[in-house]
Amino acid sequence: MVETELKRDRIVIRLGTKKWEWVLEPRYWRNTLIWAVILFLFPTASYFFSPGLINTMISANIYAAIAMPLALLTIGTGRMNFGPQFYIGVGGYTAALLSITYGWGPLLTLPFAILMCIVAALIFSPLVLMARGLYYVLLTLLLPLVFLEVTFIYPDIFKGDTGLFGIVPLLDTGNAKTNFLYIGYISTAIMFAYLWIINKVLKSRYGLLMAAINDDEDVAHSIGININKIKIIAFVCACTMIGIIGWFYAHYFSSFAGITYLPLTFMLKILLVLMIGGRAQVFGCVVGGYFVAFLEMLMIRFMGPIQPVLFPIILLILLFVLPEGLFGLYRKRRYREYLPTIHVRR
Amino acid sequence: MLTYIENVVVYTFLMGSIYLLIALGFSLICGVLRIFHLGYAYIFPLTVYGTWMLMDKLEWPLVPSILGMIVIQFIIAALIYKGIIKKYLNSEDVLLTALLLIALIVEQAASYFYPIQAGVFLETTLMSGVFQLGGVVVPKQLVVGSGIALAMTGAFVIFFVKTKTGMAIRALSQDIYSSKIVGINVETLYVFTMMIVLVPVIIGTLIVAPVWALEPQMGWLYMITAILIAVLGGLGNIKGTIMASYLIGFAHAVSCFVISEPRFMNLSALIVVMIFLIIRPQGLARSESLW
Repeated sequence: MVETELKRDRIVIRLGTKKWEWVLEPRYWRNTLIWAVILFLFPTASYFFSPGLINTMISANIYAAIAMPLALLTIGTGRMNFGPQFYIGVGGYTAALLSITYGWGPLLTLPFAILMCIVAALIFSPLVLMARGLYYVLLTLLLPLVFLEVTFIYPDIFKGDTGLFGIVPLLDTGNAKTNFLYIGYISTAIMFAYLWIINKVLKSRYGLLMAAINDDEDVAHSIGININKIKIIAFVCACTMIGIIGWFYAHYFSSFAGITYLPLTFMLKILLVLMIGGRAQVFGCVVGGYFVAFLEMLMIRFMGPIQPVLFPIILLILLFVLPEGLFGLYRKRRYREYLPTIHVRR
Repeated sequence: MLTYIENVVVYTFLMGSIYLLIALGFSLICGVLRIFHLGYAYIFPLTVYGTWMLMDKLEWPLVPSILGMIVIQFIIAALIYKGIIKKYLNSEDVLLTALLLIALIVEQAASYFYPIQAGVFLETTLMSGVFQLGGVVVPKQLVVGSGIALAMTGAFVIFFVKTKTGMAIRALSQDIYSSKIVGINVETLYVFTMMIVLVPVIIGTLIVAPVWALEPQMGWLYMITAILIAVLGGLGNIKGTIMASYLIGFAHAVSCFVISEPRFMNLSALIVVMIFLIIRPQGLARSESLW
């Protein structure tokens, strides 16, 4: 039996022995709500004034949706993963191959993409137990490059040079502009879902255990935390979430090429979203995703061919001048909860 | 069968020697500074396109252009150390991201000024034509390059084993605090190391420039080879780097001449490294010392 109780600052919902609380105090949810409304209104406003912006927004949402699980991965395993794009490849190729071979739509390919990502993540999960420091960096860095090589070695399957074409699109309303609008909302929904899930996880008891592992793995082990279990769960969940983005890419563009997502340059962009947004802070990933996507779009529009040179220079400067990323500017004057640290060498 | 063996032996030696030049610098940075220099990829396009730019814009002849490019490389290496590595040595997330960005900036700048259609070509051929060794045909340039690679590695080994500065760098690679106590100037030696490691890479790039493809993105592939060798060798140990270079050269030669599938070259090297890392996670040699 569900019992609801209205308290001064919160609503408490009880079901059996379980309890959920929703804090009503505006300072906890006002800003989040304002930004959520702005983001949900943005595609509709763009639809009428500048439809091209929806495309940039989709990119921003997707960058954020890759960076957020990467932040979870970094905190939950206590290591920096330099090859998250491997799972984009797994999810994308699974969706693309199934769609092309059997003519399946996105809803049918999604469970298989998730399943493949879980299997791949489970296979490679021992890495977070065995490899440390620079060896872990190297192994995660090489994994997507091995996959890229495989796409070139077996062109009959993966079409490494040209990519796979003819994938069933994510949506087909008969009007390209309307498709963009709906896909814009789908990408926003994915981004918000990831934000909500990961934020909840990090604020839960499991989040506390992950933070302990991130701070010091040996100390966490000594106080009785089952670090192997937590690390594998964090690894598999985060990698699967990243893989779902591969599925999205495949159906959104109706094509999928490993050469677009598997090289170091794509990983670098995600790394920048994570770093410039807020050094592995979950809300920072959203800020970072939007900043990187819109800065890139503006520079392409106004700077022409010099943009590829100036874009990384600007990001390099920002990396130096923002020690806690863009989100750190917002959090500077506010109560600070757990601030994750990113470990590479340890 | 004999031709296969001849081909594998000869090309293991040739490719292994060239890879040694390419990877020696990366391995030494790993050994001395104890960081993954993910910006290492910038050295290759800067060598080629820097030299070409001096020849093209300032109309300098080849040799002065190469010397000018080396000076530019030294200045950039010192700036990278002072501006990035020194400042963010304890904040490796920023360090590695910044180094990757440096490589990306150089690549994009090279691509902007000289896109692939510009047809950049460096006439750094030391010896043209081919040698016929039994049933094997090899470009003379690669044979000469292999000789230079061995000489260069020998010079580095002598430098690190016999000279006072070399020993100071080895001490630094083992324990930075003890090195400071005995009066070693850590900062100067770090900058010096950042500069000397450029020499084999620049020479290696100039040797392969007339033989292999030149493009702004060339650095990433070479850097991956360098990373594989450094890790297989034991992150910073010169003995290990030498062994790993020839092992990777062997994997590449087998892919080309036994399996007859050059597309497997990179994959075979990756598989070799992964197998070795599972069997011997510390690499072929101890990473605690340079030699």
